[in-house]
Parts: sequence; structure tokens; C-alpha cells
Amino acid sequence: MSNDIAARVKKVTAVLLKVDESAIGDSSRFVEDLGAASIQSIELVAAFEEEFDIEMDEDEALAVKTVGDAVAFIGKTVAEQKA
Amino acid sequence: MKLIVFEDALFENFYPLTYMRPVFDLRCGRTTLREKIERAAGTAAGALFVRDWMAAVTAARNDAAVNNLSALRDDDLLFVNGRCLWLGGHKPPAGRDAIGKVGDEIAYVALTKESAAKIAASDFESFLAAACAAAAPEEARGLKMLAHPWNLIEENAGAIADDFEKLGKSGVEGTLAEGAYVWGPKDLVYVAPGAVIEPTAVIDTQDGPVMIEEGVTVNPHTRIQGPATIGRETTLFGGKIREGTTIGPVCRVGGEVEESIIHGHSNKYHDGFLGHAYVCEWVNLGALTTNSDLKNDYGTVEVMFKGKLTDTGSGKVGAFIGDHAKTSIGTLINTGTMIGMMSNILGVGSLLPKSVPSFVMYMEGMFFKAGRKKLAETARTAMSRRKVAMLPEEEELLGFLFELTKDERMDAVKKSRKEMMARKGLA
Repeated sequence: MSNDIAARVKKVTAVLLKVDESAIGDSSRFVEDLGAASIQSIELVAAFEEEFDIEMDEDEALAVKTVGDAVAFIGKTVAEQKA
Repeated sequence: MKLIVFEDALFENFYPLTYMRPVFDLRCGRTTLREKIERAAGTAAGALFVRDWMAAVTAARNDAAVNNLSALRDDDLLFVNGRCLWLGGHKPPAGRDAIGKVGDEIAYVALTKESAAKIAASDFESFLAAACAAAAPEEARGLKMLAHPWNLIEENAGAIADDFEKLGKSGVEGTLAEGAYVWGPKDLVYVAPGAVIEPTAVIDTQDGPVMIEEGVTVNPHTRIQGPATIGRETTLFGGKIREGTTIGPVCRVGGEVEESIIHGHSNKYHDGFLGHAYVCEWVNLGALTTNSDLKNDYGTVEVMFKGKLTDTGSGKVGAFIGDHAKTSIGTLINTGTMIGMMSNILGVGSLLPKSVPSFVMYMEGMFFKAGRKKLAETARTAMSRRKVAMLPEEEELLGFLFELTKDERMDAVKKSRKEMMARKGLA
């Protein structure tokens, strides 16, 4: 399950930020390492919600810094909202 | 006599302007609707009746009793509908029962203490209905009932002239610097103490009065064309303030403004056109933000009203901008656009849609959710820059309104998401 979430998070991130999927690791930081501008961060949150059919708290979602933390945050939200 | 000002069910018609205030606190002319009612009645409102969720913030902002039926005892009572624009010299009735009507609408109801004592009601609506049954109708001459936000704009020039007449002051009590000029009748200008009109500024009273309140600064190369009114401690940074314009207290305004109302504490610092618009509090319009108020085919303007495109019947309608909204540089606002409160608009590149939900971010032609905490933090920062603290009741109201406006916002966000996913190749 978490592997599937991680793969989908990385795929969405790669497409939106126009980076090679293989270059995205759990410790990759959206802003510093992957070059996400503030507008792209908002697009990422929207795309994750659409991809996983969930609703995230915008303030909490935008506070997430790394891909690994995003996977954990989305996994927790999916578990809560799909239970 | 006790004055009671109340909201009726049509407060919703004035969204987004009435999300953060009762309808009677909307501005038209120099003063608010309520201030005009109080002036006509010769007394401050002793009681206010508003929608339930507006009660806490209204009570926090006022000394008057709010939504308190026990306040309707032991005195003659004058109930005035908060949508009533009380212009002219019509005097409210005293010492008799009467209903003042404008067309089919009730503008006011007067009851003697004795008649009021006979009414037993468990809620305000029942009390008012009983009061109406007890009184005889009369024509409320000169009064108008406003039904939509654009009515405020249509009536603004006349309301400014009426306010000037009732202010009863003219002349320059502040400073009219050498090189500043009053063009037109000198008795149609009032400059309050502490206001400064700097060299090359022109106050044009040929078509109506101009009121400039305490602490206003009018920079060089500003032309203010009457009827117009500039609220206390506002600064004008040059440009054209054209006829029919109200600028409330503590604003920063430049560029071109025509037949518009800027409620107060808002900024339109730079060039750009604002026409036939109502701007609520704590709004910031970025440089070159411009709204259209006239269609290219000169037809009547349609607005999104309660989710449907509705003809205003007017050929000149601009934008209606809710509290704490922000626009980026270069934002282009379509004719008759409703912009929700707390919206954050990066509007570069094309005309905004006719309706922008509240608490939303708009960029690259799409709507996105915005974090409520972050928006509230920005609002508190904007207010603290003018040394105003957000009341706890206002903070609570923001939370309520975030939920109240959620469905409209999420509809727009979901449509945008599908477009974004397709555009980015993620669909």
C-alpha cells in the first residue's frame, strides 16, 4: 500500500515539477531539491488530492517539506478517509 | 423613542459585502445606511437585530443591544429596515403608530409605548409582524429600499450630496496649500481640520460637493471631482477621483476611481481603474488592477447572483469585492464581477471569471484551495499594519464563513482540478 502511494506521489511530482522520476527520493525536498515554486506547491497539493481522491488540510499539506513526509501524510489521510 | 435597526432576509442579496457586516453597516455616500437612519431619527440605535451568526460580532462592535427582545419595552419604538437608504427630509413618525412603505416594502414601523406593550411575541419576526398589524401605512417619501449591491453604487452620488447638505459645513478648516485649487463653487467644499491639500491638487465642485475629513492627505496631481467624499486619515497618491466616489477611512488610493465605494482600510495605491465598484475592508488591489464597468456592446451588465447569471438592468456595473481580498499586479476584472472575501488572486494574463468564491486562490486561470490559517494570519498582519486588532468574534466569524462558503468554493476548485490534471498530462 505505502509502496503504491510512494510510486504515485513520485509520478505526480515528476510530471508537475518536470523532473526525472528516478531522481526523486524519500528525502528529496520539494522546494530546495526539486525546485517547487510556491505556485507549484499549491498545484502539487491539488494534484495529490485528485490522484488519491482525498481532501487534505491546506495549511498542514503545505507544511510538508519532503517527498517521504508527503507519502506518510497522504497515507495517513487515505487511511482516515477511506476507512 | 428607541430606535431599532434590523436586517431582513435579503441580507444574502448583498454577498460578499455582507459576510463580515450587517447590511445596515454598508456605506453609501459619506455615511453608512445605519448612520443615515440614526441621523434622521435623531438618536443612536438602541437595539439591533441581525441574522443569528452575525450577532456576536455585531455585539462586539456596538454598545446597542443585539437580538434582544427585552430591549423592546418601556418606550416608543421605531423599527427601521437596515436596507433603507434614508435620504431627504422625511421625518420618522413620533407619538403614533405608523408603517412607512416604499412601494410594497416596509421601510419603518413606529409604535407607541402603549401599542408595543400589547404585543406578546417570542421572536423578533413575530414581534415585527404584530407591530405591522397594529399600525396604519403611510408613504415614506424620499426613502429608498436597496435590494442589490449595485443599488449602493447607483445611489452613491445622490447620497453624497444629501450627506453634504446634512453635514451643514463648508469651507477649508484644514490646509489648502498654495498652488492647490478649488474649481467651482467654494461653498461646495469642506476640508476638515488636519486635512492637507498639497500643491497642484484640484478639488472640482462644478458638479457636486466634495468632503474631505480629518487627517486626509491629498498629494499633488490629484483631481477630486464632486460629488465625492474622502474619509479620515486617507491618503490620495495622485490620479483621478471622479464623480460619485466614496473613499472611507484609512485608505491608500491612487490611479482612477469613478462612481465607486471603498468602504475603509483598503488600498488601491497604484495606477489602474476602479469603476462602479464596491470594495470592502482590508482589500489590497495590486498595481494596475483594473475593472471593466461597461460592456463593449453597451448592453446591460449581468452578474453572478445566487449562482445564476442575472441581468442588473444597468449599463454600468463594476466589481464587488469582499473583505480581505487581494489582487496581484495587472489583474483584469471583468464587468460585473463578484470577488469573494479572503480570495487571493494572481490574475495576470486574462480576464477574471465573473465569480470568484471566497477563501480561494486563483492563478493561471484556475481555482485552488487556500489554507484558512494562512489566510487568517495574513488578515491579522494587514490589520496590524493599521494598528487594528482582529476581534475574537471576527476570528470566529471567519471560521464560520470558511465553512459557509465551502460548497461554492469546492465546486470551482474541482472544475479547475480536472482542467489542471488534463493540462499537465495527469488525467
